Amino acid sequence: MQGALSIRGARKVYDAKTAKVVALDSIDLDIAAGEFCAVVGPSGCGKTTLLNAIAGFDTLSRGDITLDGQSLASANASAPPDASRIVVFQNGALFPWRTVLWNVACGPIMQRRLTAVQANQQAMELLARVGLQDSANKFPGELSGGQRRRVEIVRALINEPKVLLLDEPFRALDALTKSVMQEYLIELLTYVPKTVFFITHDLEEAIFLGDKVVVFSSRPARIRQSVTIDIPKPRRHEILTSPRFLEIKAMLSGAIHEEALRAFTVGERELA
Amino acid sequence: MAFEIANIDGSADNAAEPSRPRKFLLRHASFMVGSLTILLLGLAWEFARPLGLPGLSRLPAPTAIVAASAELLHSPMFWEACYKSTLRIISGFCLAQIVGIPLGFIMATNRTIFNSAFPVAESLRPIPPVAWIPISIIFWPTREASTIFIVFLGAFWIVLLNTIGGVSTIDQTYRRAALSLGSSRGHLLRYIIFPATLPTIVTGMVISMGICWEMVVAAEMIAGDTGLGYLLWQSFEISATAQVLVCMFTIGLAGFLSSAAIRKLGRLLTPWSPNE
Repeated sequence: MQGALSIRGARKVYDAKTAKVVALDSIDLDIAAGEFCAVVGPSGCGKTTLLNAIAGFDTLSRGDITLDGQSLASANASAPPDASRIVVFQNGALFPWRTVLWNVACGPIMQRRLTAVQANQQAMELLARVGLQDSANKFPGELSGGQRRRVEIVRALINEPKVLLLDEPFRALDALTKSVMQEYLIELLTYVPKTVFFITHDLEEAIFLGDKVVVFSSRPARIRQSVTIDIPKPRRHEILTSPRFLEIKAMLSGAIHEEALRAFTVGERELA
Repeated sequence: MAFEIANIDGSADNAAEPSRPRKFLLRHASFMVGSLTILLLGLAWEFARPLGLPGLSRLPAPTAIVAASAELLHSPMFWEACYKSTLRIISGFCLAQIVGIPLGFIMATNRTIFNSAFPVAESLRPIPPVAWIPISIIFWPTREASTIFIVFLGAFWIVLLNTIGGVSTIDQTYRRAALSLGSSRGHLLRYIIFPATLPTIVTGMVISMGICWEMVVAAEMIAGDTGLGYLLWQSFEISATAQVLVCMFTIGLAGFLSSAAIRKLGRLLTPWSPNE
């Protein structure tokens, strides 16, 4: 299986005219092929900066990112975005002017990897897998928030990316929809295993989904703690109250709270 | 027996829903209220006139306007004027879209062109199109061409600025998502930038259609030899005041209908947009 992601000494400095802002500092992170890595950290700490560098939307100031040994980003240079690493964005990025089916099928067609007929057929199969085959000809605006997220994940998977980059994909959903979406994601990933880089604010979500949970410090983001989650997969929501889950949660929540508090104080000072 | 059943059915129907004329009234309630208000205003005008209010007594009575419009509707000259004005509107409006939309896209996507063309646009835009009429008459070989140019100008700035604005406010994530999905520059323009801008373009079309009617009337009054604006001014010069008012109402109605048509077209072009 492909998709081994390696991040070495990643640093990012935003050179605003007045003050330099260090967003990332000496991040070393290895994500094995097929591993689900959940990143938790306070708001604005630099999680999305790292994701953008992996995706090819932004460069690093120092350090290297490689995917299966091939360079994705090094100092001030990055490989352009392509289908090997697909992002599911925080606020969603389904094209509202096209149908659900077009949204899902467009990737392979634009890459000339599949014909329109093949792509549509594959898109229908994937949509059926998340129970949305009847919505194929609707516009995204006619779907619920949870349905849109499902379409978006399916749109990412049809491109057979090596890495799936998820930037707080379930943030805007209510708690119930969120737990259903997590189970959909788990199910899809057992069907098509992928390396996943998953950003979240929600520690429970990170432990529930992740093979590994990485806690980022407040800005500049460094790796504060990295824990391998040894709860066997597939996991169901019952484990949220299991002793092992609570033990891991207790182990991580102290660090997260401390970082959140630091980020908050810094934010207060910057505003004052 | 059969009679009874039919009777029961009939009464049941009546109880379930209002009778047909009543239903019609309910469905068109706001239209009815609006029409009634207009009718009442007309009546007030008719009966206030003999009271000797200043100004009002110099205007013709609504009944005289109705009579004048009946007369005008039978004259080929009136229809000729409607036809000419409509033709000018369509030409000027379409030209503005054909020139303004692509130019807007080019300006919004190319920094060099934007930096050189935008100052020119910004220095010409504040000049009201009506102020262009004399120069337009001198510049263009025919009166027809200069009238169409004025109509074009009225719509052009709005179309141009709306297109530029639409392109430059596209959510960055759509572009990024498309690039990840493997889209080329051509794909990006066709599948992302163009459709994402379309709702703003449609808004520009609706607004500019209104401006087009203002411009055609002004241009015809000053430079025309046909058209509704010309007819309106001629009627004024021969003191046919009722006819002036008929022309005014016709122009108002035409403006309303053409804006409605553009709105309809906009809904067809952007079927994903929620209806307001």
